[in-house]
Amino acid sequence: MSSPLATHDFTDLPAALEFLKRTRWELRSLRFARLWRDRLQVFDVNGDCFEVRGAGYPHSDIAALLRAVNAAFDPTTIHQPPVGEYREVGLGRRHAWAEDRVM
Amino acid sequence: MAATLDLPSLNEATERDPFNNNCYGTLVDQPYRFVSLPVLNVTDFNERIVRGYEDGTAEGELPADISVARSLVPAGTASLRDFSYIAPEIPEYIPSNCTGCMDCVTECPDTAILGKVLSESEWDAKLQAVPEADRAMYREQWSKTKKYYDAAKKKTGEGGLFQIIIDPSKCKGCAECVTVCDDHALKMVPKNDDVMLKVRKSHRYFKNIGPSNPKFVNDNLLIDMMLKEQTHLYTGGAGSCAGCGEGTALRMMCAATGSKYGDQWGIVAATGCNTVYTSTYPYNPYLVPWTNSLFENAPTYAVGVRMRWDQMGWSDRPLWVLGGDGAMFDIGFQALSRMFASGLPLKVFVLDTQVYSNTGGQASTSTYTGQNTKMSVHGKALGGKQERRKEIAQIAMMHPRTFVAQTTCAHINHFYKSVLGALEFDGPAIVVCYTTCQPEHGVGDNMAGEQARLAVDTRAFPLLVYDPRAGETVKQRLSLQGNPNVKGDWYVNPKTNEEVTFIDFARSEGRFAKHFDADGNPSETLLAAKQDRLENWRLLQELAGLR
Repeated sequence: MSSPLATHDFTDLPAALEFLKRTRWELRSLRFARLWRDRLQVFDVNGDCFEVRGAGYPHSDIAALLRAVNAAFDPTTIHQPPVGEYREVGLGRRHAWAEDRVM
Repeated sequence: MAATLDLPSLNEATERDPFNNNCYGTLVDQPYRFVSLPVLNVTDFNERIVRGYEDGTAEGELPADISVARSLVPAGTASLRDFSYIAPEIPEYIPSNCTGCMDCVTECPDTAILGKVLSESEWDAKLQAVPEADRAMYREQWSKTKKYYDAAKKKTGEGGLFQIIIDPSKCKGCAECVTVCDDHALKMVPKNDDVMLKVRKSHRYFKNIGPSNPKFVNDNLLIDMMLKEQTHLYTGGAGSCAGCGEGTALRMMCAATGSKYGDQWGIVAATGCNTVYTSTYPYNPYLVPWTNSLFENAPTYAVGVRMRWDQMGWSDRPLWVLGGDGAMFDIGFQALSRMFASGLPLKVFVLDTQVYSNTGGQASTSTYTGQNTKMSVHGKALGGKQERRKEIAQIAMMHPRTFVAQTTCAHINHFYKSVLGALEFDGPAIVVCYTTCQPEHGVGDNMAGEQARLAVDTRAFPLLVYDPRAGETVKQRLSLQGNPNVKGDWYVNPKTNEEVTFIDFARSEGRFAKHFDADGNPSETLLAAKQDRLENWRLLQELAGLR
C-alpha cells in the first residue's frame, strides 16, 4: 500500500464530504475503506488511497463519510473497536442494472 | 462457397495487427483448427466471414450464402477478435512483487493474462531472438520467484524464470486480476500509444519464446495447469461482460477437463447468457465441439449425443452439459432429472447466477429470498422475491448414484477437484458453480472472486462434494470441507470478532440495497432470507453428520 495520494484534516462534515466527492474520481475503481481509530482511508483497486484525518471508527460522522463512498457496513457495529488496529469495509457494491424497471 | 481472399491471413501479422496479437494459440501460436466437414470450410470462414466482422463490413457486404446460413462456426474463431479498443485501462505487471501463485491467470474471465516459466539457461538463449532494441524491456518482465526459481534451483541446480503477460487484444480491463493478486504485482494503468506498443510487443515475444518448460510445471499443483497450452480450450474474445464470473468458470472447467482429455471432449449448452457470449456469430471461444439447442432440453439433447458418441466408439470422450440456473433449476429441470435417472455418464455444469441474466434479470428458483429482480420487484407492495431458494445440489443428491459438487472459482482447488471428481465418476455428475453477474448483482467488474468467497463465508452458497463412492451413508458421502467454521452456524471474522452472516453478503451487493433503511437496518424479508440460509446450512451439516 502506498502513502495517501491526498489527505484532508477533518474539520466539519460538509468539507470532508466535498473532499471525498472531489477526489474519489481521481482514484480507480474503489475497493475497500480502512477505518483506524483516528482516520479513514479509501483504497482503490491499485492500492492507492485518500485519507481523512481526524475521523476514525469512533467518530460520530463516520457513517456519513462511508455512505459517500457507497461502503457496505453495519451502522450498529461500525463504532466498535476492531480486534486489530483497523476495520475494513467493502466498496465493491454498485447499482444493479435497471433496478427500478418493473415488468 | 466464395474463394478465400487474396490477403494476408488473419492468423498472421497484418497492417491492422502488426504484432499478430489476435491470433490462434494462447501460449504459443497455433494454426486454424481444421475439421473434415464437407459443409464447413474453415479457411474461408475465418478469412472471409470473420474478416468481414473484424473490419466492420460483414453486415453490408457478406453475401447470404450457404456458408453463412448454416450458422456453423469453426473452433476458436474468437481468437481472431480484437477487444483492445474497449477498455480505457489495462493491467501492468510488476515482476519484483510476483510470487508465481497463478491466481491472476486462473481468475481472468477472458484468457487475457497468461503465465510462462522457462529455465534460466533457455530463457537467456531465447531472449537473443528478441530484437535488440526491445530485449532489455522484455527481459525486465521476468521474475525470479521463490516458487519457480529458488525452490527449483535448490532442488535441481537450475531455477525457472517466470513471466506474466497481458494479451492486449483480449483484456477487457475488468481488474479482476489486480483484485485477486495479494502481492501487488499488478496494477491498472491508462492505455496510451506507448503503453499499448509495449504490451503488444511483449505479448508477441511471449508467444514467440515457446512453451513453458515442463520441468517447472508440477502436475500435482492444480493451480499450475494453465501453464500448459492443452488447458487453454476457452480462448479470449468471447462477448461476455467485463469481469463476468461465468467466463472464469467456463475457462477453469475447460482447463480441468483439458488437463485430462486434451480436446477430445464436447459441450452441449442450454440457452442462456453462456450461449450468447460464446456464439455471437462468428466468434466462438471454444476449441472443443460445442452445440446449443434450447433452454429446456440440453440434458435430453446430451443424452442423444452421448449415445451416438458411444456408437461411434467415443465412450472415452466426456460430454459436459452446460446451463445457467434458469435452464437447470427451472425450465430444463425435468430434463435434468431424467438425465440423472438414466445413469449415463453425462457431466452437468451449472453457472448459478441466481437470476436470468441474459433476458434481463428475471427471478429463477435459484434467486435468493428478498433479491430484487424484474419479476420480483422490491417496492411498497412486494419486498423482492418472497419464496425460498431451491437447492439443486440437494435435489441432485437424492437421485440414484449421482456425483454432486457445489463450488466457486474463488476456491480454486475445490473447483478443480470438483470438476475432476465429476469427470472421474462413472455415472451422472453435476457441478453447481456460484458465478457473479455484475450488472444483475450490482457489484464492480473486479468483484467476481471476492463476492464468490463472501457467498461461501456467509452460508449463501456453501461448498459441498457428494460422492456416492465415498461410503454407504449420506454422512460418509457428503463433505462440507472448505467452508469456514464448518461445525458452527456462522463464520466469525477473526479481524472483528463479529459473525459474518447473509445480511453482510446482502449489504455488499446492489441487488439487495433496497432492503436496508436509512440507518442500515435490514428488512423483515432479508431477515427471513438470513434464516433460510441458516436452515439450509444446518440441513447440510445434519446430512454430513456434523450436527
